[in-house]
Amino acid sequence: MKVIFKIWRQENAASKGNFESYEVDGLTKDMSFLEALDHLNELLVSINKRVIAYEYDCREGICGQCGVFINGRAHGPHDHMTTCQLHMRSFEDGDTIVVEPWRASAFPIIKDLVVDRSALDNIIEKGGYISAKTGTAPEANAILVGKELADKAMDAAACIGCGACVATCKNSSASLFTAAKINHLNSLPQGKQEASKRVLEMTRQMELEGFGSCTFTGACEVECPEGISILNIAEMNARRTKAKWLG
Amino acid sequence: MFFRKSIIALTGLFLCIFLIVHLSANSILVLPEETARSLYNSYSTTLRESPLIKIVAYVLYLSIILHVVYALLITINNRKAKAKGYRVNQYKENSSWTSQNMGLLGISILLFIVVHLANFWARIKLGMGEGVGLDANGHVDVYEVTYSLFQNGYYVVFYTLLMVPLGLHLHHGLKSAFMTLGFYHKRGLRTIAKVSLVYAIIMAVGFGVIPSIVFLK
Repeated sequence: MKVIFKIWRQENAASKGNFESYEVDGLTKDMSFLEALDHLNELLVSINKRVIAYEYDCREGICGQCGVFINGRAHGPHDHMTTCQLHMRSFEDGDTIVVEPWRASAFPIIKDLVVDRSALDNIIEKGGYISAKTGTAPEANAILVGKELADKAMDAAACIGCGACVATCKNSSASLFTAAKINHLNSLPQGKQEASKRVLEMTRQMELEGFGSCTFTGACEVECPEGISILNIAEMNARRTKAKWLG
Repeated sequence: MFFRKSIIALTGLFLCIFLIVHLSANSILVLPEETARSLYNSYSTTLRESPLIKIVAYVLYLSIILHVVYALLITINNRKAKAKGYRVNQYKENSSWTSQNMGLLGISILLFIVVHLANFWARIKLGMGEGVGLDANGHVDVYEVTYSLFQNGYYVVFYTLLMVPLGLHLHHGLKSAFMTLGFYHKRGLRTIAKVSLVYAIIMAVGFGVIPSIVFLK
C-alpha cells in the first residue's frame, strides 16, 4: 500500500511551520496509523533527515496522548476513536493523508505534531480532585453510592484528557473536558464538600487559559474517544449558575 | 463569558417569544382586503397606545442590541481561542453547518432587521419618508404601508429569502439556549430539539409566505 502523507512540520513554537509531502510505499492495510508514521520516520532516519515528532504512549486507546488531526477530523475519519486505534485499512491505496497538530491558542505547538496540553492540567489543578486525608483505603460500603449515580459519574470520569474536544471545536472550547471532570466529582458524595468551589474555579481557569465558549455545535461529543455526552456541558452550566447564585 | 452567553440565550428566548406574537399579528394580513385593513390598523393602534407595550418595545430594542453586541464579543474571543484553523476540516461530519455558522446567519438576520425597520418603524414611528394616512376608522393606515411595500417584487423576494437564515438560526439557537442556561434533562432536550425544528419551520414559512400572499392580492 502506498500513500502520500502531507504533514505539518514546525521546528518550535516560535517558528512558522509548513506542510511537507512524503510518498510512503511498503505499508500494509493491517498497520496502525502510528506504525505507518513509524515506518515513515525509519525512512527519514535512513536518509539522514529529521524525524517527525508526534506523541503516543499506550497505543491501545486509553492514555489520550496520540492526538492529531487527520484528513480534517480529530483522531482520523471515525467517530469515538483515538489515533492509535486507527488502521491503514481506513484509507485507500494512493490516498493523500493530511496530518495536522491540534489547533488551539491554548495548545502551543512544541514541535511538528506535538502540542503543549498543560492548559488542561492547569484546569485540573483548580479542583479536579477531592481533598481527603490519605491513609488506609476506607471500607467500601462506608459511603453508599447508587448504581445509576455511579454509572453517571463513571461515564464522565472516562475522559482521558486527549484534547480532541478542544481540537475539533471551532471555538477551541475546553467545555466538554472541564464539564466531564466537574460532573464526575460533583455528582459523587466524596466530591460534594467542595462542589461549588470546584465548578467556579475550574470554569474560571478554563477561561483564563484562553479557551473559547461553547456554542453547542456538538462536534466534541462525536470526536470524543470515550463518547462523553455534550449534556455534560449543559449540566456544568446548571451547576455553575447554582454555585454562583446560591453558593 | 458565561454571563455573556446567558444573556445571549435569555435575549434569544425573549426574541423567540416576540416572533410568535409578531407572526400571529402578521397572519391578519392574509385575510380579505377590507377585514385585514381595519383589523390590522386597529391592532397596531392598540399596540402603539398601550403603555405596557411601550415597555415591552424598549425591552425588545435592548434585547436585540445585547444579543448582537454580546454575540460579537463572544465571537471575537472565540476567534482568538482558535487563532489558526486547519488546512483540511471535515466539520460537516461531526456537526451541522448551521451550528458552525450562527454568526453568518445572525449577520444576515441583522441586515434584514435594518431594512425591515427602515421600511416600517422609521416611517410609522419616526415619521421619516412619505407620510402615512388614516383609514376609514381614523386609525393610522399601517396596512397600506405593508400593502404598498409588497407591490414591489424585489421586497417580496428579499423578505422571503431572508427568512431562510432566520429559520436556520432559530433551529440551532432555540435548543442551544436551553443548554446554555443549564437545562440538561436528556428526554426533555430531545423534545426541545423537535420543538425547535417545528418552531423554526413555522416561523420561516409563516413570515416567508405572507409577502407573496399580499403581493398577489
